[in-house]
Amino acid sequence: MPRYGMVIDLKRCYGCYACVMACKVKNYSPPGVFWARILKGERGSFPNTVRQALPVLCMHCENPSCQEVCPTGATQTLDNGIVIVEKDKCMGCGACIMACPYGARYSVEEWESYFPEGLELSPYEEFAKKAWEEKRGIGVATKCDFCRDRLDTDSEPACVEACPANARTFGDMDDPESEVSILIRRHRGSVLNPELGNEPKVYYLEPR
Amino acid sequence: MTAPNQQQIEDDVWIPTSCGQCYCMCGIKAHRQNGVITEIKGNPDAPTGRGSICPKGLAAPHLLYDPYRVNYPLKRTNPEKGLNVDPKFVRISWEEALDTIDKKLRECQERDPRGLFFQATTTQASEIRFGVIAFMKAFGTPNYWVSGGGLHCGNGAHFMNGIMHVAWSIIPDFAHCNYALNFGCSKGHGAGHVAVQNATQVADARYRGFKNIVFDPFQSAQASKAHEWVPIRVGTDGAVALGIVNSLINEHGIYDAEYLMYKSNAPYLIRPDDGHYMRDAETDKPLVWDLVDQCPRVHNDPLVTRVEYEDTAHEVALTGTFTVNGMECRPSFELLKEHVKKYTPEYVEKISWVPAQSISRIAKEFGEAAEIGSTVTIETSKGPKKIPKRPAATHFFRGSQGHTNSGWTCLSIDMINHIVGSGDTWGGGMGLGAAVGQGYEPTGKPYQIPYPCPDGLLVAKTWVYDHKPYPLRDPKPPTRLDLHDMFPTSIYNAFTITDPRWFEMLDRFDIPYRPDVMVNFGSNSVMTMGNSETVTENFLKKFNFVFSFQLYITEFEEAVADIVLPDACFLERYTPAVSFPSTFSHPQGEDDWGWTIRQPVVEPMLERRDFNVVMLDIAERLGIPGRFYKALNDTIPIRYGGEMDPKYKLKEDGSERYSWEDVTDRLLKDRFGEEHGLEHVRKTGVFTWPKKKEDVYWKWFNPSRIPIYFEYFIDAGEKMTEMWDSYGGNDFFEFDWTRFKALADWYPCPTHTEEDPEYDMHTFYWRTVVHCNSMTQQNPYLDECAQEDPNIYGVQMHKRTAEEKGISDGDWVWMENPEGHRVKGWVSLSEGIEPHHLAISAINGHWGKYMPIAKGKGAFFNDLVEMDLDHTDPLTFNQDICCRVKVYKMDREEV
Repeated sequence: MPRYGMVIDLKRCYGCYACVMACKVKNYSPPGVFWARILKGERGSFPNTVRQALPVLCMHCENPSCQEVCPTGATQTLDNGIVIVEKDKCMGCGACIMACPYGARYSVEEWESYFPEGLELSPYEEFAKKAWEEKRGIGVATKCDFCRDRLDTDSEPACVEACPANARTFGDMDDPESEVSILIRRHRGSVLNPELGNEPKVYYLEPR
Repeated sequence: MTAPNQQQIEDDVWIPTSCGQCYCMCGIKAHRQNGVITEIKGNPDAPTGRGSICPKGLAAPHLLYDPYRVNYPLKRTNPEKGLNVDPKFVRISWEEALDTIDKKLRECQERDPRGLFFQATTTQASEIRFGVIAFMKAFGTPNYWVSGGGLHCGNGAHFMNGIMHVAWSIIPDFAHCNYALNFGCSKGHGAGHVAVQNATQVADARYRGFKNIVFDPFQSAQASKAHEWVPIRVGTDGAVALGIVNSLINEHGIYDAEYLMYKSNAPYLIRPDDGHYMRDAETDKPLVWDLVDQCPRVHNDPLVTRVEYEDTAHEVALTGTFTVNGMECRPSFELLKEHVKKYTPEYVEKISWVPAQSISRIAKEFGEAAEIGSTVTIETSKGPKKIPKRPAATHFFRGSQGHTNSGWTCLSIDMINHIVGSGDTWGGGMGLGAAVGQGYEPTGKPYQIPYPCPDGLLVAKTWVYDHKPYPLRDPKPPTRLDLHDMFPTSIYNAFTITDPRWFEMLDRFDIPYRPDVMVNFGSNSVMTMGNSETVTENFLKKFNFVFSFQLYITEFEEAVADIVLPDACFLERYTPAVSFPSTFSHPQGEDDWGWTIRQPVVEPMLERRDFNVVMLDIAERLGIPGRFYKALNDTIPIRYGGEMDPKYKLKEDGSERYSWEDVTDRLLKDRFGEEHGLEHVRKTGVFTWPKKKEDVYWKWFNPSRIPIYFEYFIDAGEKMTEMWDSYGGNDFFEFDWTRFKALADWYPCPTHTEEDPEYDMHTFYWRTVVHCNSMTQQNPYLDECAQEDPNIYGVQMHKRTAEEKGISDGDWVWMENPEGHRVKGWVSLSEGIEPHHLAISAINGHWGKYMPIAKGKGAFFNDLVEMDLDHTDPLTFNQDICCRVKVYKMDREEV
């Protein structure tokens, strides 16, 4: 059984939002929900400024704070390392959303259209609404699940597939010969906020 | 919205086609489930993208299903036209719409068919170059303009790149380049041409230690990723480029003599009296000086010619003085060498604010990175061949070329490539779009091998327009509404047709007809050409009747359209050729050729109809289908390289009718053989074949030379001046004809000469990956992404500047130019911008009520763009898109 993780190469990424969009389109997430997100920041003063894009998503932690606080067992870690929410077990208490140090969880209280109120839903949004309600649910915690419904067919997560810079690599962290393991080893991949002890399975390679 | 119809239901398929969200037109696959497009992804079979895709393409389902799309023909019932006028559109039937259009076009045909004016958007580039131009020809009008991301996005760039590389654009050979100078373009960083594939190549290159040096007034995506960001004063790129040329040649003594001797006109001997070539009395060919035999020889004498790198030839003089025909002649390289001496690092620093030391250092680094003298052996179809390896390149686009010095700036930046011999060779500065190719072997089509003119200079085999960038045509008495015929160095211009004296001008230039009917294909020219009031009042309102194929009711339709026709979007149509002609849909480099098509993923919804199909209908009604088919046939060889086999030509006598499906099928069969028609290609959306290495690195396989000395501009300028004066043109505009000369220079924009200290800020616009032109702002997915970004909708301003002006982050401000035009926006404070600049992205700031998602987002930069001759490059008529402004806070009530 593989133990899935991801490497995001900040040297390759140029912050184009293709990952954000691929995630939204694949998962039909409504407005304001960003399972994949890009944070943009700036430091230094002119002309020695650094502008950096930082793509973030659920870190699929080895020690997930969300799972720890979940009162119903809805948040689980699968054998393949993917942290999921089983929507029918979730009671929508929001504890996991508060507990996640990476801000990767979203709950939708009411499905919302991308277009102004009062309009009939487009066939696409009707489809999106149904898909969201059936697969993700209303009033429950939702998050990135590494597009696990696609992994059986050898596909990669949507964000990995779309990335024009090939900045994302997905694979088995337990296989020392997998591309993710090699990248982490070769380029000394690191995780965000290691001091929290969550042991994320999303690694980053340095931008420079 | 209607439910999907019966034959569409219960399916679950991925249909390969081509994106249409921007002019890159990447290969995509659209997922159709039960008749609904539910997802888009990249098409791994298409070299354009190879499975990757940008956010715009991914977001396309919202374009197809946007409830604000135009779904029915509309008729204006308010006779008043203008900005912010309610058109009072009412729904009409297609029959009524086409009857009216038919009547108006017949009246126009009777008055003078040239009164029909075509306006189109670059987002539908493939259709413009084929069907739209063919329809124009069939109808009998030469009048058109194309709108895109700001006015005349490439009058300067495409012209110069066509001359120097037979390509629409230039780009480093990212796969092998080690050091690049990037002047105001986002190639490899999201926006721009062949955006997705270039981004992959640049990301790979970073791991090879590729260094990108970016000249930009603000820290753009490319500057953020650069090895070095060099803040530059907007519009001064040409001066920096000439500074680098000077530094290379005169300070560091770095240039590629072999390249200059055999691949450029650098050795051509120049007469001292008039700056023209010294020509051979017998053959009239330009002469070079043979250093071995110490005598003049014609440029293509085999003794002084090296086509392939391993050919041998006598050396020819690049410097010195030689007596020929009793005159003391000097090679053009020596004239260039002397000419650029004035661009000392110190002089250039004063213009550009780039430190003198940086210019000198960067020139040296670039020159060393070019590894002049080094070679590499490539495997060509004729066996292994040695060619120069020159892993250093410059590239540029919108940011540096959108100024009143457009043409010479583009040339100056590209000149750096040719000085170090990196033009179209391994690792160097390449023509983008993969413009050179021998074609698919069994048919030899599309055949795109350039050839030399009698003077030895490079001529394109295929081109996007009917007239190639070189050789220049002779100026002719004008017949076009923009007097274009007189100006062979431009594609079209705006300063004539948007001038309040336009009709007086037409009288003076003996143009007997007036603007009559305008047909618009997806352009929102009210926002994309320049100041909206100038465009609307001086130009658009002059037409008697305007009909528009459109996806939304944009500000253009609100202002002036009499009839709006609901167009199908790219997911609902056929397009016979997407990646060809080679412009911005082919990856540079060794990956395969790919001929991509578009095919409908769903039938056009509601009453939408594909404008290409409607054009066939209109041609039918007007009784000109045969002429339309003939024009399509005629367009094919220049666009797609190679004559049509007669059996695939469309019948020109009007005895048969063709659908776009038929046209696609015939074109494919003609190019790739009977078995590779539409049925074959629709399975993958693309027909691919291997690219030959000698086509990728074609420089040392082709007998042509590029100019570093523009001798023919001297004549062109003289002929144009003569013709202009013969009409008394100076009563309208006083041209600076001195720009028509042989050697490159930098001239300031009004931005650089503004003396009023009140207008203390330099403003410019930049392209973001999230939006293209003016349409994507209505896509709620893309709009949401743009809102996530701190800089896309905000006006970027330096923190210290803001502090001095009492402006805080998020404040709403007016930016007002010296002509009194002003735009509003909210300020996003940053340290990543040169303190005298304001950066505004894309064509944002919509106000139309029928695009509610787009409305009010970002600032409308183009309203600051003046359309007069003062803001136009006299050489190429490219529009200036930088300007000075004063910035002041908006009153609370105004916000």
